[in-house]
Amino acid sequence: MQIEIRDVRKDYGRVQAVRGVSFSVEEGQLLVILGPSGCGKTTLLRLIAGLEPVTSGTIHIAGTDVTHLPPVKRNISMVFQSYALFPHLNVRENIIFGLKVRKVPADEIERRLKRVVDLLGLSGRLDSKPGELSGGMQQRVALGRAIIAEKPVTLMDEPLSNLDAKLRNSMRREICSLQRRLGITMIYVTHDQVEAMTMADRIVLMRDGQIVQDDSPENFYERPANTFVARFIGTPPMNIVPLCPTQGGAALEPGGRLLFPGMDPDRYLFGIRPENLRLAESGQPAMVTGREYLGSDTFVSCEIHGQEVIVRTRGRRNIREGTVVHLTWDPGDVNLFDARTQERVDSVVPARKEGRENPAGSIGG
Amino acid sequence: MTSSGFWSKLETVAAWMLGILWAMPLLYAIWAAFHPPAYAVNFDLTAPVTLANFWEAWHTAPFARYFINTILYTTMTTALQFVLCTLAAYSFACYDWKGKDLVFSLILVQLMVMPDQLLVVNYQTMSALQLVDTIPAISLPYIASAFGVFLLRQNFKQVPLALAEAARIEGAGPLRILLKIYVPLSKSVYLAYGLVSISWHWNNFLWPLVITNSATTRPLTVGLAIFGSPENGVNFAVVSAGTLMSVAPLLIAFLLFQRQFVQSFMRAGIK
Repeated sequence: MQIEIRDVRKDYGRVQAVRGVSFSVEEGQLLVILGPSGCGKTTLLRLIAGLEPVTSGTIHIAGTDVTHLPPVKRNISMVFQSYALFPHLNVRENIIFGLKVRKVPADEIERRLKRVVDLLGLSGRLDSKPGELSGGMQQRVALGRAIIAEKPVTLMDEPLSNLDAKLRNSMRREICSLQRRLGITMIYVTHDQVEAMTMADRIVLMRDGQIVQDDSPENFYERPANTFVARFIGTPPMNIVPLCPTQGGAALEPGGRLLFPGMDPDRYLFGIRPENLRLAESGQPAMVTGREYLGSDTFVSCEIHGQEVIVRTRGRRNIREGTVVHLTWDPGDVNLFDARTQERVDSVVPARKEGRENPAGSIGG
Repeated sequence: MTSSGFWSKLETVAAWMLGILWAMPLLYAIWAAFHPPAYAVNFDLTAPVTLANFWEAWHTAPFARYFINTILYTTMTTALQFVLCTLAAYSFACYDWKGKDLVFSLILVQLMVMPDQLLVVNYQTMSALQLVDTIPAISLPYIASAFGVFLLRQNFKQVPLALAEAARIEGAGPLRILLKIYVPLSKSVYLAYGLVSISWHWNNFLWPLVITNSATTRPLTVGLAIFGSPENGVNFAVVSAGTLMSVAPLLIAFLLFQRQFVQSFMRAGIK
């Protein structure tokens, strides 16, 4: 276990920024801390870096309790959202700043500098000041400063948020491959779910200072822990609609086609990913309210009993608004959530579940 | 169109008038210093140009000594101000400690106290320290400059916090962060403040007059006043030459640095 966070809390006066967070990171793993702005993810990273003291809890890095150690003794390097390049120093001085502080011998500095410059394609820019470089180049310098330290753990605070979309994609792949090649253990903070899904070995999703789900990207997508996760991950997000009573159980509209025999419709929410819905000859009727053409796909917005449901279809679909279509799906792709707690309901056999929880059976029968 | 042209012309004329009015004494001093005493009060373009006045002034009073004293006094004051104000501003800008706001407001209060009001108290202090009639005594009352602390604190506060944090991650201590990040990033402010401080102390008169009483400690301003005082008989040409000698280094420095000087103060004002 490379990094272990146990019940870490951080209060700013009466504001609780991080409230009891625990997780661990394996050696060589890339862990993404994901969450909307203000969820405490950056604060958590700063606590791990040692830039701020924890209110309570412990942080272990490589088996050592570093909770009360200064940043330099934690064996970490960090890339800041603003890059934090020293504007008065040139690229070379920026990259080797830390090595000089730690009095690394000159020939060793040169050796490491050469390696990092080759790795990041910075040759020829060593004498430029950060202000003369493009955003992407500045990002590389910031990466270089983190890599040259040769620390086993690197912390990244939204490093790509200041780049344009195209550059972000290529830098994302580059950071990933660097992390793999150098075997760095990395904690990467972002609010961008695409970055999280594509880069992470594991994702920790935070909300209001707490962990909502700590899982692999696959599980985040396929088995979201609650409706917040389901709506946060995926573009467009998962369709989540309340169920309605019908003859013998629950349906998507009152008195509609029976989907879950014997289920109490008020207790559950029905969730399905847009790409798992198909337009078919028969099935759940829905009225088309709009469509978005993206080239490879078309997102068709439909309405079922006042609830919007988005269907992702391949290629171009010329469906007029107001048309009534029919939707089908595989039962295995359905996610059910508790209507009250919003948590995932895992025993997906509704009849048996209902049988246990509501022995009276169907309602309004 | 025509009216705005008229006003801008009027502005130009007014600026020139004011400028000339302002420069008159200096222009007169230049005229008087470079011509024989007979021409000091009559303007004649054919008057012979001479350096004799400078020669005479230099040999009548110990100007060389005065120069050394002034240079010692101003560099010592400015250097000590840099050190003290930098450390104080760093603490105010980057650290949290109990009573910080109170202490800072007390320092701001100091901005409103004229140094001349403290003449007697300062004299007592220097006398208690047995420093009367020494060069450090001229400097000491000025080294804890409220203006310097305030100016540097404002500037340090504008340095992004992430820079100091990045340096901390790399293992830099507080002093190194100050010297490698905050100070280099405030170069223009140091230059502006240094110029203001040097010019102010170069021209400082009252306190040096009170605290010094021998030629070995007297700065230029005091020396010049004694040199030009009526007891010695007034020779305008020689006094002008002495004055020009006194202000020349400062004038040259400002001609060299005026762009940085004006720029950095404008920038400090806009921020």
